[in-house]
Amino acid sequence: MDAIASEQARASLDAAEHARRQVTEEIGLPPGYWWAMAAGWLVLGACGAVLPWLAGIAAGLFGAGHAVFASRLLTGRRRTRQIQVSASVAGRRIPVVVVGMLLGLVAVTVLAALALDADGAGHASIWAGGLMAVVIGFGGPDILRVLRGWARA
Amino acid sequence: MTAAKFDELIHPSTRLSLVATLAAADWAEFAFLRDRLGLSDSALSKQLATLEEAGYVATERRISGSRRKVRARLTPAGREAFDGHIAALQAIVDAAHPADGL
Repeated sequence: MDAIASEQARASLDAAEHARRQVTEEIGLPPGYWWAMAAGWLVLGACGAVLPWLAGIAAGLFGAGHAVFASRLLTGRRRTRQIQVSASVAGRRIPVVVVGMLLGLVAVTVLAALALDADGAGHASIWAGGLMAVVIGFGGPDILRVLRGWARA
Repeated sequence: MTAAKFDELIHPSTRLSLVATLAAADWAEFAFLRDRLGLSDSALSKQLATLEEAGYVATERRISGSRRKVRARLTPAGREAFDGHIAALQAIVDAAHPADGL
């Protein structure tokens, strides 16, 4: 091995770290997941407005669908079809962060529906569901990114 | 703890970035590597071929629809060589700045 200067070694370490960070930026969920979530939110809102008992069943199906179809996605390692992030890089907290985010969004949806209802709006649950669907569809990836930062996941 | 072992094959900057990217992934598509590393198709092919010859990288060609895709992954030998190289670089930095670790 040729002796290399510590500055060169440092630059090489930085380059390797930069490459690793580029891969960590790929952690997340596919865009289709967020739009499916947004659609689900709309359906739940509509069910709540028409038949409240149906909303309970729909919420159960929503959760079951997550358990069956999204469980592989929730690791955050398959955001695109171009790369699979290694488990050691993705860590184990992503599913917890995603589920926590969804529970938080449910709470916000309920609060928004109650506020709209108190304000006298018709079909408050549809409006609240629609509002959150837009937030999830367009902002889901960014919300998750912020939460990951907070949770250091 | 990985044994420090400077690797001349991995050390050139483009190859180091390529191996570091693969080290953080189970696999990556050729297009992803090309775009992230800012390389031409031929340049990336050449780098992958060099690493594959050394047994550090394995590539897999697949047909996806009408397109042929190449997927690359780091082999266990490649991962060991990369970890050893990083440890060697860290040792050089630490030797030059022994007080930094305190």
